[in-house]
Parts: sequence; C-alpha cells; structure tokens
Amino acid sequence: MWKRHKGVNAMTQARKSLLISPELCIGCRGCQTACKSWNQLPGQKTSNTGTFQNPPDLTATLFNMIRYVELPSEANMMRWLFVSRRCMHCGDAGCMKICPAPGALYRTKEGAVAFNKEKCIGCKLCVAGCPFDVPRFDEKDKVTKCHLCFDRIAEGLQPACAKTCPTGAIRYGERDSMIGSAKKAGYAKVYGDTDLDGLGAVYAFKDAPKLYGLSEKPEIPESVVFWHKVLKPLAYIGLGGAVAASLIHYVAIGPKKDEEVKKDE
Amino acid sequence: MVKKANSFEIFNHWLLAVSFFILTISGYAFLFHLEQVGSVFGGFNLMKDIHNWAGVVFGVSLVFSIFNYLPVSLKFTSDDFAWFMKGGGYLSKRSVTVPPQDELNAGQKLYYLVVLLTGIGISVSGIVIWLRPVAQNVNTWVLFSHLVHNITFDVMVVAIPVHIYLATLANPGTFRIMVYGTVPLSWAKKRHAKWVQRMGF
Repeated sequence: MWKRHKGVNAMTQARKSLLISPELCIGCRGCQTACKSWNQLPGQKTSNTGTFQNPPDLTATLFNMIRYVELPSEANMMRWLFVSRRCMHCGDAGCMKICPAPGALYRTKEGAVAFNKEKCIGCKLCVAGCPFDVPRFDEKDKVTKCHLCFDRIAEGLQPACAKTCPTGAIRYGERDSMIGSAKKAGYAKVYGDTDLDGLGAVYAFKDAPKLYGLSEKPEIPESVVFWHKVLKPLAYIGLGGAVAASLIHYVAIGPKKDEEVKKDE
Repeated sequence: MVKKANSFEIFNHWLLAVSFFILTISGYAFLFHLEQVGSVFGGFNLMKDIHNWAGVVFGVSLVFSIFNYLPVSLKFTSDDFAWFMKGGGYLSKRSVTVPPQDELNAGQKLYYLVVLLTGIGISVSGIVIWLRPVAQNVNTWVLFSHLVHNITFDVMVVAIPVHIYLATLANPGTFRIMVYGTVPLSWAKKRHAKWVQRMGF
C-alpha cells in the first residue's frame, strides 16, 4: 500500500562519499565558490563580524561553507580549524524520514540525498528533522541544500567542491576506500563511519568532533523516531481497529433495539 | 417530531464532517506517501494547500461547535457515570435500560470533549507547522507541533469512525438529525429523557 522508507541499505551499487580532512584544508573557500558556480547560486551581502567565516551560516544559496574554528594554542598564537560544512547525506536521513512528499527528497544510486523542487510541497519539516541543521528553503519555500552535485556524479564526475579543492581536503570516491584511506593515514576513528547508517560525508578528525562543531553522536530527533516507529503504525492500526470493532459490534451485538419506539408520532 | 438541532448546528456539523474527511484522507496520503491519493487531489503541492485550508475550516467550525455542545458536555452527573457503567447499553444483545440522559448522553459528552481537545491540538499545531513562529528555537516548536499533530491525528482516526458508526448503523434513526434536525418524540424520550423533560416537550 505504501512504500517503505528507502534507506541507504537498499542501494544496489557501492556507496560513494566525501572524505573531508580539516588538517589538509587551507581555508581558501574554493569549494564554496565552485559550488556556487556549478549550481548557479547568487552571491549574498554579508557584514564582517570579526571572523573569516563568511557567510556565517548555510543559506538557501549557500550549500557548503568552511567553518573557521579558533582554538587557544600553546605553540602558536592560536589554532585554526577549517571544517567544510554541508549536507552529510546520512544513510538514515532525518529529512527523508519526516518528508511528506514522495520524491521531494530522494536517494541517488550513489547514496546522495538529493531533492526535487517540483515535488517539494514547501512544508519545511525537513529543516526541523535534520540532525545537522542543514536544509534551507528558498523564496518559494522549496528545500535547498547540498545534493552532492547529483548531476555531476551521475556522469562519473566529482562534485564541484571536491574537484576544485587544491589540497585534497575534500575528496570524493567509493565510501569504503575513502574510509580506508583515512584509516591508513592514521585516523583511528573516522567521523560518520557508522552514525545514522553511515554518513555520506565522513571526516578525518584529529580531535574530538565537538571541537569541529559537530556533535559526538548525531541522531535523528527523538520525536521523529517515535513518530516513525509508533505513531505512524498506530494511524492505520487505530483506524483499522475502529472500523473492525464497529463491524464486529454490528454483527455480534447489533444496532440498538428500539422495539417500543414507533416510526412517528 | 421534536427539534434536536437547528439549521446552523446541522450546517456546522457538515462543515466539520467534510473538512475532517478531506484532512484525514490527505493526511494519510502525506503520512504514507500515497501517490494515487495525491493525484486525486491534483498533486501533493495542491493537496498541501487544500489540507491547510480545510484545516482552517475545521478549526473555525470547531470553535462554533463549542456553543452547541460544550455547556452540556461539561455537566457530568451521577447518571452519566451510571451510563458508562452499563456501557451505554451497547454491550448486550438484549435491550438494556440506561439512566435518563440529557441533550447529549454520557458517551457523546465524553466524545465531544475528546474531539474539542484533540481538535484544538491538531489545529494549533498545524498552524505552527504551516506558518512557523519567528523564534530562535523554531525547529523545537515545529518538532513539538509535528508530534502533537500526529498524536491527535491518531486519537481522531479512532474516535471519529466510532462516532460515525454509533450515529448511523448502531443507532437507526439518529442520522436524520444531521439531515432534518428532528427526531420522533418517543425516540427522544427514550434516549434523552432529561432533555425532553427540561424542554417540556
């Protein structure tokens, strides 16, 4: 009757992912520019707030950005972390789970979470369902976010950000080999390896994820999980039960007996 | 024949009924991605607008229903509790004598209070999801409203089909209230004795 939520586990081909290595990032923001260029996104006016991080947050026309984290350091004036922030293309995606419009958010055969504005109904629930605060909506209330350049990767190309990155801080390839190469490079634990059925953007972090502005254990909001696991089944069990109970009552006990009531006065 | 409902009450109840059906059918389509149902509504985009505005109709007529049903629904007496103890006479094949009832019987009173509370919950939460409050923690507001919207939905899709069954198949002669607004006096005496007495029919 209804289609089951299509998780990344239903994929037929090997999943692809981004590998992001903040240690290699020089903060040039070429990825931001390349993304805007390929996706034809207009620039936006911002004001200086005393940080290189600009624009300050993802917007409807900014699908990826570099987060500039300043940390105290003994060896230098400070320690600077550059973290590429974008849609994580979760294996178990909160946005897809909560979305009421079939096909508005969908999984590509590479494992990316892409969107179709024509099918989006503009309810904005995905914004609330995302564990990473990524989806935004445009002036027509339609979802926008990083779609891993689904049009490029379908043709065997790299996403614009990975293609343009001069240092290899953003790499794209088969997910297993991306994680393997990070482990070979000495990163014992790769962020996003297993969380949310594995992220489609994994991070080679030297320190705790919190320092990079990411939660230790990202999760789909509890209320969304409860809704999906309990309230949704109850919706058809409840309706079916009410109808079935009525029918059983009608057959087993029957309508109220009003023998003494005459048709009319 | 005696008048049980005036034309406004009948009209308002039909508004509630029709908007409920539109909202529930589209609601299930959103919940389970029923694409065929979406096509009947002219696509999911149009269905969302229809759902939202049907919700406005439902919410407004729910407010008007308060004048018709709330005062009597709040008057719970010992006869009402005794009525529940006998299951309203619905649990036996034989004719059961239940305590005399007012304009609404105990079950109808409880049902109205449930519908009023869940109806307010589902309407307000729907408006929050639709219009999004301008707040720092808007996502928390939306998630909480999404939860309320779905809990109240689950309650309604159980309560309202039972209400429809009780008002039609289970009690022949009741449905005419929604059409003519009148009932035979003997019917009213049997089912709403206190009301008949109060009205002096």
